[in-house]
Amino acid sequence: MALGLYGFVLWGCSRAVVVAPPVTPEDRSIQTGVPGKDIRELSPHAQASLRLTDQGRLLLEEGKAGDAIGMLERAINVDSTNGLNYYYLSEAWLYKGNFRAAEEFNGLARIYLKDSPQWMVRVSAQEDRIDELSR
Amino acid sequence: MIFSRVYFRWVARAGFLAAILLVLYFWHLSSLIEKRFSGRRWSIPSTIYSDITILYPGQAVNRELLHEKLFRLGYREVDDQKGMGKGEMRVSRDELEINLCDLDVPSRKRPGFPVLIRFDQCRIESIIDLSRNTAVPILELEPEELMSFFGKEREQRRIISFDEIPEHLVYAVLAAEDIRFYRHKGMDPRAILRAFFTNMRHAAIRQGGSTITQQLAKNYFLTPKRTLYRKLKELLMSLTMEFMYDKNEILEIYLNEIYLGQKGSVSINGIGEAAHFYFGKSVEGLTLAESATIAGLIKGPNYFSPYVNEEQSRHRRDTVLRTMHDNAWVSQEQLLSALSLPLNTAGFQVYGKKAPYFIDFLSLQLKELYAPEILSSLGLTIYTTLDTQVQSAAEKALARGLARLEKNNPSLNREEPGKKLQGAIVVMQPKTGYVLAMVGGRDYAVSQFNRVTQAKRQPGSAFKPFVFLSGLDAYSPASILSNEVRAYSVDGGLWEPQNYVTIPESRVSLRTALARSINVATVDLAVKVGIEHVVVTTEAFQFSTPFQPFLSLSLGAAEVIPLELARAYCTFAADGVLPYPLLFKTVKDEEGKILERRLMDIERIISPAKAYVMTSMLRSVTEEGTGSSLKNRGVGFPVAGKTGTTNNFKDAWFVGYTPDILALVWVGFDDGGSIHATGSSAALPIWADLIKAVPQYVSGDWFKMPPGVVKRTVCPESGQLFVRFKCPQRKEEIFLSDHAPHKKCSLHGHESSFQRFMGRFKDFFSN
Repeated sequence: MALGLYGFVLWGCSRAVVVAPPVTPEDRSIQTGVPGKDIRELSPHAQASLRLTDQGRLLLEEGKAGDAIGMLERAINVDSTNGLNYYYLSEAWLYKGNFRAAEEFNGLARIYLKDSPQWMVRVSAQEDRIDELSR
Repeated sequence: MIFSRVYFRWVARAGFLAAILLVLYFWHLSSLIEKRFSGRRWSIPSTIYSDITILYPGQAVNRELLHEKLFRLGYREVDDQKGMGKGEMRVSRDELEINLCDLDVPSRKRPGFPVLIRFDQCRIESIIDLSRNTAVPILELEPEELMSFFGKEREQRRIISFDEIPEHLVYAVLAAEDIRFYRHKGMDPRAILRAFFTNMRHAAIRQGGSTITQQLAKNYFLTPKRTLYRKLKELLMSLTMEFMYDKNEILEIYLNEIYLGQKGSVSINGIGEAAHFYFGKSVEGLTLAESATIAGLIKGPNYFSPYVNEEQSRHRRDTVLRTMHDNAWVSQEQLLSALSLPLNTAGFQVYGKKAPYFIDFLSLQLKELYAPEILSSLGLTIYTTLDTQVQSAAEKALARGLARLEKNNPSLNREEPGKKLQGAIVVMQPKTGYVLAMVGGRDYAVSQFNRVTQAKRQPGSAFKPFVFLSGLDAYSPASILSNEVRAYSVDGGLWEPQNYVTIPESRVSLRTALARSINVATVDLAVKVGIEHVVVTTEAFQFSTPFQPFLSLSLGAAEVIPLELARAYCTFAADGVLPYPLLFKTVKDEEGKILERRLMDIERIISPAKAYVMTSMLRSVTEEGTGSSLKNRGVGFPVAGKTGTTNNFKDAWFVGYTPDILALVWVGFDDGGSIHATGSSAALPIWADLIKAVPQYVSGDWFKMPPGVVKRTVCPESGQLFVRFKCPQRKEEIFLSDHAPHKKCSLHGHESSFQRFMGRFKDFFSN
C-alpha cells in the first residue's frame, strides 16, 4: 500500500516536472489592446492570436509588409475579434501604399479597440495619417 | 620495303583520320552532355499544399481529425519506449508525443523538434518542447501535400544535393551498383570481365558490367535497346562524362535520376523522393538499413520493392549490407545491428487528389498565371488556404447527411450513380475570405461538376437577408410588416405568395419575419422598399448571376452560385466588408523565392452597423426561428444563419456563421427533382455535424456592437418606444442610430392601466 502510494507520488511528480514557465519578458511586451489585462488573462485563442499579431508586428518593423500581412491574416483566423490585428494590418497596407485597404482595416480597428482609450488614440492618429498620405 | 612504307603511311593517315574523327565525336558528345546538364536536368511537378495547422494550449481540437492529419503528413505511430526518430509519434489516451519534421513555409522556418501535447478531454492542456523542457505557446504543423501537377511522363522527384546525402547511402549505392566507382574512369574492365564470365557460366545474362557513369549515360541519352553500337556509344559517353565532371557531381546526378519504383501511375525517381515514398523521411534522416534497402532497389525497383515483396526486399538489403561490410564501409557491429532490423516502411499511399473540387477550382486560377508546361516542370510550391481538418469534416458531414436523408426517405434513393442525391459545402473564414474547405459534390469519381462554383440554383429563403438589408434603409428590426395574404399583379396576372406554414399573426416585426422566414411579410417589405431597391442593394454583393426586379426575387427565385452566396453572407460576418474568396496564398519557386502572393482583399459594401443589425436578426433565426433545431443538434454556441427551401423542395440550404467561420450547405438533385425536405431538415443537420467536428473554429465569441447601433426598449406590437405601465410587453431591440424610434408606442401609449387590465381580462376569456 505504502509502496503503491510512493509510486503514485513519484508518478505524479514525474508528470509535474515540466510546467508552463512564468510570464516571460517577451510575454509582458506583447500588447493586448485590452485595458489592464496581461496576455495570460485572456482566452486561449485570444492569446494565440495576439502572439501571432506580435510576430506580424515584428515582421512589419523589419519592413517585410507582405510577410507581416500573411502573419496577421493567420492571427485573424485564430481570433477575428483581435483589434490589434486590424490596427497592424492597416499599418502594413499603409506601408505598401494601399490607402483604401489601410482605411478599411483602420475602421475595423476602431470597432474592436473601442474599449481601449489608449489604443483609440492611436487608431485616430492612424486615421489622420491615412487621410494625410492619401491626399 | 616501299610497299611497307606506303602501307605504314596509309595506316598512319587512317589512324590520324580516325583520331580526328574520334576527337570530333568526343567533342560532339561533350557538347551534347553539357547542353543537357547545364540546362534544366529534370521536370519537377509543381505541388499544392494545404495551409499550416496551428495548435495552442487551451484550444479545443477534434483528436480524431488531428490524428488523421498527422498520418497524412507521414507521421508514423510507434509504441515502444525507445527514442523516436523524426516523423514518428506516440499516441496515448491523454498525450501525443511527436518528433516533428522541419517546417519550411514562406516567412516561417523552424527545424523539427520533439514535442509533447497533453490533452484534457478534447482540449489541449499543454504543449511542451521536450528538447528544452519548455512550454510552447503556439505550435505549427507542416502543410499537407494535396496534389502535384504531373507532366506526361508522370515522374515524381525531389532534388537533393550531394552534401545532403548521408555517407552510408553513398556506400550502399556503390556496394549495390559500382564498388570501384571512385577508382575507374567511367568504364570498369574488371566488372565487364566479371560479368562476362558470370553470364558465360550461367549461359544467360545474369550480371551487367555497367558502371554508374554508364548507367547514367544510358538513362539520360540512350535507348534501352541492347545493340553493340549503343553499348559503344554508352562507353564513349561515360568516358566523356568522367572527363567533364568530377565523381561526386556524376553521383549526384545519378542519384537524382534513377528510377526507384512506382506509386500508382506515378514513377518514383531519385533517392530524395524514394526516401519519402518508402520511409516517409528526407534523405538526411535515412538509417543504414534504410539506405541499403533503397540502394538495393536500383537493380529491380518493383521486384525488390518492400511494398511488393518484403522478403525479397529484405534479402536484397542484407546482400547490400554484407557487400558494404566486405568493403570495410561498415563495421561488424553496424552490420549486425542493421541486419537485425525489420523493414519499417512508411506505408503505401497512392497519389490521389485530396480536396478534388477545391483543387480543380484552384487549378483554374493557377492556369491563368502559369502555363500547364510550367506547372508540370518548374517544381513550384503552391500554398493554399485549405484546412484539411475542415475539409475532412465537411466531406464526412455531407456523406453522412445525404445517406441519412436517403435512409429516412427511400424515395430519394436513385440507382444510377450520376443521378443520386447531391450536396455541396463551402467553408470560409468570413473576415479574410480564406476558403477553408470545399466539397463540390457527393463523389468526385462519379461527377466532377463542382456544385459550389459551377451550379446555379435558386436560393429560396436564403436570399431573404438581402431583402431585409434593403429594408434597413427605412425600417428597423422592430418595424411592423403585414402578414395578410394578398395578390400582386405581376406581368398582367396575379401572384399570391403563401407562407410555408400557417402564421396566425396578421402583423409581424421585421425580426420575426426573417427569423420565421415568413414569405408574405417578406414580399410586403419588398413592396414597401421597392424591388428595384432590393436589386440595387444585392448587386453590391457582386453576384455574377443577373437579378431582375420581379417581386418573386424577394423569395429567392433568381439563381445564384453557392460560392457567391457564401461570400455575400461573409459581409454580414465581417463587419460589412465583402472579402474576395482566397484559395491560394503564395507560390514559390524551387529556390524559395516568392513568385506570387495573394493577400486578403476586402471591399466595404455596407456599414458595420448594418452588418451588425443583420447578424442580430439572423441570430434570431437560430434562436427562435426556422434554424432553432440547431440547439437540439448540440450547437450550443451563438450562430447567425438562414435556411432556404425552394418551390417543390428542389433545393435545401443552410448558411450559418459565427465570427470565426461561415459554412454554406446545399442539398438537391442535379436534375431539379424534389428532395421532399426543407433547408432546416436537410441542410441544417449537415451544417451542425460539420461545425461540431471543428471545435478549433468555435470560440463562442460574438460580434462587438459597432458605432452607429443603439439599443432601445420597445413595444413589440407597435415597434415604437415602450411606455411603462401601458404597453403589455417590452422588448430590447437594436437599431441603426439613424432609425432608432423616438415616438412612444402609439398603440398603448394612451391606454390607462385600467383599460389595459380590461383588455387582458377580455383576451384571457376569449382564448
